[in-house]
Amino acid sequence: MDLLEPTRQAFALLIEGDPELLGIIWLSAWTSTVAIVLIAPPCIALAFVLAKKQFPARRAVIVATQALLSFPTVVIGLIIYLLLSRRGPFGDWGLLFTPTAIITGYMVIAFPIMVVFAVSAVQGADQRVYETARCLGAARLRAALTTLWEVRFGVVAAVINAFGRAISEVGCAIMVGGNIDGLTRNMPTAIALETSKGDFAQGIALGMVLIFVALLVNVVLAWAQGEGGLK
Amino acid sequence: MSALLEIRGLRKNFGERTVIDIDEFRMARGESCVIAGSNGSGKTTLLRIISGLEPAHISEYRFDGRRETLSPYPDRLRHAIVYVHQHPYLFHTTLRHNLEYGLKCRGLPAPERARRVAEALEWSGLTECLQTPPAKLSGGEKQRAALARARVLEPDLLLLDEPTANLDQTARQHTIELISRLAGGRTSVLIACHDQELIRLPGMRVMRLEDGRLTRSNGAL
Repeated sequence: MDLLEPTRQAFALLIEGDPELLGIIWLSAWTSTVAIVLIAPPCIALAFVLAKKQFPARRAVIVATQALLSFPTVVIGLIIYLLLSRRGPFGDWGLLFTPTAIITGYMVIAFPIMVVFAVSAVQGADQRVYETARCLGAARLRAALTTLWEVRFGVVAAVINAFGRAISEVGCAIMVGGNIDGLTRNMPTAIALETSKGDFAQGIALGMVLIFVALLVNVVLAWAQGEGGLK
Repeated sequence: MSALLEIRGLRKNFGERTVIDIDEFRMARGESCVIAGSNGSGKTTLLRIISGLEPAHISEYRFDGRRETLSPYPDRLRHAIVYVHQHPYLFHTTLRHNLEYGLKCRGLPAPERARRVAEALEWSGLTECLQTPPAKLSGGEKQRAALARARVLEPDLLLLDEPTANLDQTARQHTIELISRLAGGRTSVLIACHDQELIRLPGMRVMRLEDGRLTRSNGAL
């Protein structure tokens, strides 16, 4: 198979700013971003509670969240599909095959990644951080936010990892988004479709964008970590 | 002198082991005390109990004449009592932010915060370290920054846990000098340590904690 020609066409699509391609990239970017922005605060709050507080079901919640990490995304897609389908409990909302359904799927997929990574980050915080904040007169919320700030590199890593997972997710997005042209077709689903059709140019172009996003995410992560990052 | 802190019937167990068993503990307003004792005698635990970091059974806890319950630890005490760890933690922000932190928690306006921080920097001799990231400060500078951060809050009671431990001679002298100045002010200071120089500071009441019991005091209220 000649790879040079489709690669050349892929570059041409990117350089020319093909509207269809840009639409797909834009959909992927904003759905992933909205999902992460919405799910990050509750995830980080839950991670703090799991890492710092002792309560009866704590261990069970941590184990369940870790188990969700290995949950197949296509099954998550199936469950959301059943919930949003016309005969499902939320069928009346008409969300199936919409960007909102994709955002919902991304949020579910991002949830365990963010919680598990953030729990690990908060558990790694020096015990004196919270104590010092409290001893200086901080209320619980302020002391918690101070602790999160002290482990911000780990928390940012959790958020960025979740974003990377969401933007490259395909199984759930196809199930609940339906890969509808101009409405719910995002980068991973478009790559799968175009490759199955033998149209490699668009697939390669989108693949390059995804790789660029992955690299960019890691560069941002390394920059955000600063001196706390990998040396 | 009027009593600032009065504790009766203080018991602390770790499992089956009783680590603190004190019938009565009192400190006067403006008084400075050292709790001496060997490692593991319960000095740190006592300070942590007083500052609300460690739960314990207490029959009666009075602060400034008012009876308090420690669970949950009252905001009044949180603002009146400041505990400084043996190895103080400085937030990974700036020295100024560290000194301002407690003032912000108390809702003080920016000009008042700036005034107090400038005064505390001068008091601790850290003005020239203002641009140094806290993580890069030496052990002695960190201890002085922690003392300045506590002093700036003008607490009624300051609890210092082994403030001169693991410091070289120069840093130790600086720290002792700051503590002696603190001890002469309106703030009551309770120090857990076995540093003979601190113990011998003028006006310092010395108590000895052995196996969780206060056994000796060179002065009383």
